[in-house]
Amino acid sequence: MNAAWRRRALTATVGVFFLLLPLIIQERYFLHVLVMSGIYVILSLSWNLLAGFTGQLNLGHAAFFGIGSYTSALLAMKLGVSPWIGLFVGGTAAALFGFLLGIPSLRLAGPYLAITTIGFSEILRLVATNWVELTRGSLGLSGIPMLDPIRIGGVTIRFYAEPEYYYVVLVSVAFTLVFMCRLTRSAFGYSLQSLRDDEVGAQSIGIHTSSFKLATFTISAFFAGFAGALYAHFARLVSPETMSLHLTFDVLTMALFGGLGTILGPILGAVTLTFVSEWLRFLEDSIKLDIRLVAYGLILILTVLFMRQGLYGVLRSVVLNLLPRGHNKE
Amino acid sequence: MESLLLQQVMNGLIIGSIYSLIAIGLTMIFGVMRISNFAHGDYSMVGAYTAVFILGWLPGWLGWIGSLIAAAALVGLLGVLTEKLVFRPLLNRWTDIDIIVCSIGLFILLENLAQLLFGATPRMIQDPFAGATIRLGFFSTGVLRLLCLLFSAAAIAGLQIFLIRSKIGVAIRATSQNRLAAQLMGIDINFIYRLTFSMGAALAGVGGVFYGTLFAVFPLMGGMPTLKAFAVTILGGMGSIRGAIFGGFILGIAESLGGTYISMQYKNAIGFIIIILVLLIRPSGLFGRKEGS
Repeated sequence: MNAAWRRRALTATVGVFFLLLPLIIQERYFLHVLVMSGIYVILSLSWNLLAGFTGQLNLGHAAFFGIGSYTSALLAMKLGVSPWIGLFVGGTAAALFGFLLGIPSLRLAGPYLAITTIGFSEILRLVATNWVELTRGSLGLSGIPMLDPIRIGGVTIRFYAEPEYYYVVLVSVAFTLVFMCRLTRSAFGYSLQSLRDDEVGAQSIGIHTSSFKLATFTISAFFAGFAGALYAHFARLVSPETMSLHLTFDVLTMALFGGLGTILGPILGAVTLTFVSEWLRFLEDSIKLDIRLVAYGLILILTVLFMRQGLYGVLRSVVLNLLPRGHNKE
Repeated sequence: MESLLLQQVMNGLIIGSIYSLIAIGLTMIFGVMRISNFAHGDYSMVGAYTAVFILGWLPGWLGWIGSLIAAAALVGLLGVLTEKLVFRPLLNRWTDIDIIVCSIGLFILLENLAQLLFGATPRMIQDPFAGATIRLGFFSTGVLRLLCLLFSAAAIAGLQIFLIRSKIGVAIRATSQNRLAAQLMGIDINFIYRLTFSMGAALAGVGGVFYGTLFAVFPLMGGMPTLKAFAVTILGGMGSIRGAIFGGFILGIAESLGGTYISMQYKNAIGFIIIILVLLIRPSGLFGRKEGS
């Protein structure tokens, strides 16, 4: 059995596992956390495309998430547009802003880019807070419609509760994952990585770095906006707080902790940290101390100092050491 | 009408002097070490809490002066500590993303540790002059606010004299201009790094006492001074102290006038709009060195 087949078998097993998961564990709370971690997976994968693969530190990711959620929620509430369409319109609206933010960002790097993207995100948060007629200000939008029921043959699937919504998120995560895998292993993806490692070098071999950066900002924003719309119709409540810097920092911690610049890393990081922070929430209730974010800060610092490859890198080296010597090259 | 304008310019000068003080710390650390520290505003938060506690223990103007000294000492020490534990190990790796992300980790850690220790309830720094105001021609202002302005101006002037006249000050400026050449002249770079970092942090700590005097003191207050300090340094040119001084006053007055005449709700957006405009028109800032030099 060769490596490609082994990989396919592994992927299929993991896929079947996640498909059957709601049948094995039926507890709603567990599925709720799974849905949230799925949304975080999409967010950290899309953030990672910019930061990990292209070397562009975007600290305004929460704004894209917010644009997606507000767009889809408002379309459904004010104009009665189906949330299924809203998911994509929300993503597209975010992509548009991603493109616009990408233009000034072409000339910037390092701290300048970081602070500009923070500024973009904070300005949008202020707009969402103060444009009361449209967004109801800091109260936020509540009672956002759920996804419409789907009728297949005689069976109607309703998206009232977790098991059904879990599958929507699972499909979205799978789509994002396949897209990111394809993208990063294409000529486009290699160009991104070359411009990350040496921008002048990339230009000298004829890579038009500006268009690549713009395209990546747009794609990354699309997925963040899509995740935002998914969140809006799941939580059914969005407020300006959803686009605060803390969301960006959570996503950044997940991607780094999992492994920056890899595909599996952000997934591992998002799922692990979502579950860890739920667990810490229980711990907080019993010891009456807010330690969740202290832990996030520590994790971030320790990851950068001692575990630059992230969780994925650690697991990978453990697995490679366990395998017989002949396979180490893989 | 004219007196309102003057009043707002005065308010802008007061808040601007505090922005300058905090931003000078940030720009010094960036100039010498090339570290963009997003946790910088948390040093101000720690400074503000030092003042809250010292004034609770020793009220009156003596306590207020004492808290300035204590904030400088304590936050300077915190600066040494974070430099040694967090930033020093990163210095030879030298990628922007690592340093910025690490400082964000420090930011999250410090503000939430403060929440753990001090609780989320906002506190006030007691006014040792019990809210006394004085009238100066067209405008009136609190005695304490005026003192904030005078003390920040004095601290900025003192720092400038130190940097221009003293031998260590010259060494700091030399390191900022060209690290390798400074090293070849026999300057102990590691000492300069540690000194600059603790001085920068101490300035933010003292600025935090003033900032906390004007606004409420709470664990998550550090985000605002961080962002304002970045806006000021980008406006003035990153690494330029003169730029940070002018930038602080410009931002303070722009916010104060913008808040009165344009829109109060979007007052905090003015800094970001300035950043974006500066980066589009003159990326090196008012006094910044051109890229590559």
